[in-house]
Amino acid sequence: MRFSVKATLFYLFLTFLISIVIIPLLYLGTISLSSPLDLTMYPKKLLPSLGYNLKIEWMDEPDELYYSISYKNNDGEYEELNYLSKFDRIQSYFDQQLNITKSEEELQKDFEVAKTTGEPVYLRYNKAIFQNYIKFFSVVDGARDGVVNSIQAALWTIGISLSFGGLVGYSLARHKLKGKEGIGLGMLVVRMFPMVAISIPIMVVLIKLGLNDSMLGLAIVYSIPNISLTAWVTRSVFIGINRELEEASLIFGATKFQTFYKITLPLVLPAFAAASMYAFLGAWNDTVVALILSNNNPTLALAIFKSVGAASSIHYAAAGAIILIIPALVFTFIIKNYIKQLWGES
Amino acid sequence: MKAKMDVKRAFKSPYMFIFPTLLYYASFWLIPVFIAIVMSITNDDGGLTLQYFKSTFTDPLFKQALINTLIFAFFSVIIQYILALGLALLLNRKFFGSKIMFFIMLIPMAIPPAAVAILWGTGFQETGWVNSFFDITGIQYLIEWMGISDSNILWTSVDGNRAIFLLIVIDTWTVLPSVMIILLAGLQGFNEEYKEAAYIFGATKRQALRDIVIPIMKPTIITSILLRLIAALQVWLIAVLMFGFGRVPFLVERLVYFASNRGEVSSADKYATTYSIIVVVLVMLVSISYLKISNRNRRKV
Repeated sequence: MRFSVKATLFYLFLTFLISIVIIPLLYLGTISLSSPLDLTMYPKKLLPSLGYNLKIEWMDEPDELYYSISYKNNDGEYEELNYLSKFDRIQSYFDQQLNITKSEEELQKDFEVAKTTGEPVYLRYNKAIFQNYIKFFSVVDGARDGVVNSIQAALWTIGISLSFGGLVGYSLARHKLKGKEGIGLGMLVVRMFPMVAISIPIMVVLIKLGLNDSMLGLAIVYSIPNISLTAWVTRSVFIGINRELEEASLIFGATKFQTFYKITLPLVLPAFAAASMYAFLGAWNDTVVALILSNNNPTLALAIFKSVGAASSIHYAAAGAIILIIPALVFTFIIKNYIKQLWGES
Repeated sequence: MKAKMDVKRAFKSPYMFIFPTLLYYASFWLIPVFIAIVMSITNDDGGLTLQYFKSTFTDPLFKQALINTLIFAFFSVIIQYILALGLALLLNRKFFGSKIMFFIMLIPMAIPPAAVAILWGTGFQETGWVNSFFDITGIQYLIEWMGISDSNILWTSVDGNRAIFLLIVIDTWTVLPSVMIILLAGLQGFNEEYKEAAYIFGATKRQALRDIVIPIMKPTIITSILLRLIAALQVWLIAVLMFGFGRVPFLVERLVYFASNRGEVSSADKYATTYSIIVVVLVMLVSISYLKISNRNRRKV
């Protein structure tokens, strides 16, 4: 292979671009796997540590007996973390601060070697690496319900957007309507309208309907731009379907119902799948409408937003953020080919 | 019998497909807009008043919020389009690994705003990962040597235009892929024959880009800039998670502040609806003037 300065510089530049995207996410992932002890360290590590090298010493002071617990820090020196004597305290300290989940008996067995021999004991304990993810659901207010709520709101949004928007899309594609352009313009206006601005007054409507602080209520707001979007996406697909194909199917004796299920539906299904993923993302990603409309029923995004503030919970917030990211990432990559329509391409 | 026929025909009418949506928008969009207007111009006893608009307009935070919002929207859109065009032109080339590169560059647009805010909120703390990264890579030495700061930068205590610039950086990281994918789609759907014709007539690569590629992509670019602009006018979440409420005010940030402090701040929902109306009017004004300007330019071409 021929060495070329230009190509090398080009790939260096690409590496630079990739690191701008990847490095922040790596750090977020690492924080989500960090123990409170890791969070006190500076500089923060790019990759997570899987465990700690510990030194346990039995201290036989005249007026006190205790275990001195040290860990090997980034400089390779042992630094004292704490001194404790009771194993229930040691166990909860390890669990809370180091994300090490060992039973009292295990700790006792390991520690007592230091006591009997009088020599320091060197150990390596692995962290319970996903502890923050488990604790996120028990520690952060509304996190567990938030997942259910978010999925519920998303499903409602998909249902409403597809049934209303699909009809409009079909009609715009197949029927001769008066004022078609007006409808198209109206749909664009709806999509451009800042939904946050109607969040307060829509509460009046939702209270009247008994839907305040409910996921259906949120979905009603999320569906406002999504109905238009669905109409937009499905319209172009219905236009693209060859009508003669349907007619041929009817001529060959298929019923209208069979024609729809066997011919039309498979052709429009990808567009409907894409539209439902948009609807899902609209509901899943939202924070602001949920913040204004919810009292006691937060969505996942809202629970995560509210968990920030207490500096001690940053690792839980990071774990929550990763949980929030994964479905959004999957669906966005599936629908990326439709993204042009999201931006109002006709 | 005839009435029955009419009903049947009415149900078969194509407008029946659109009617549910119209009804939906009337009840959940038009009525709330109407309620918002009424809420903002009546006091608690139901009398007409402009006091909420008056006290909003005289609030120094409002003025700051308006200026910040406009600065943010203007500069973020310009910076994002320049960078996205560069990135799209880069990814439009075929090179080893270009597909993987494309996938990686798309990742940020998939990340929900709340997660983006946490990602950068943890990053820009004094002992956060941004400063850690600067320390590890030696960028910190560069910063100290250049005299920008003699210790770790306290990101969350920057203010004024610097704070807005920091938010633009975060916003750009997030939305650059979605802008880039539009431009890239335009470039790839572009008929190569036009470009070849330009080359045959002796145009340089740059001329072909400026006089052929960009004009043809213009309608796509105009709509996408408009939508981007509208989204930028609604910035709030990253500002709040970086600086807290009220430090670097934006219009929607004020709206959310009042809306989420109902019960604690007096007449909070009145002020929230007042801000709602201001945001809508601003979005409309900006959209209309933007479309007018871009139409005028189009006529010139």
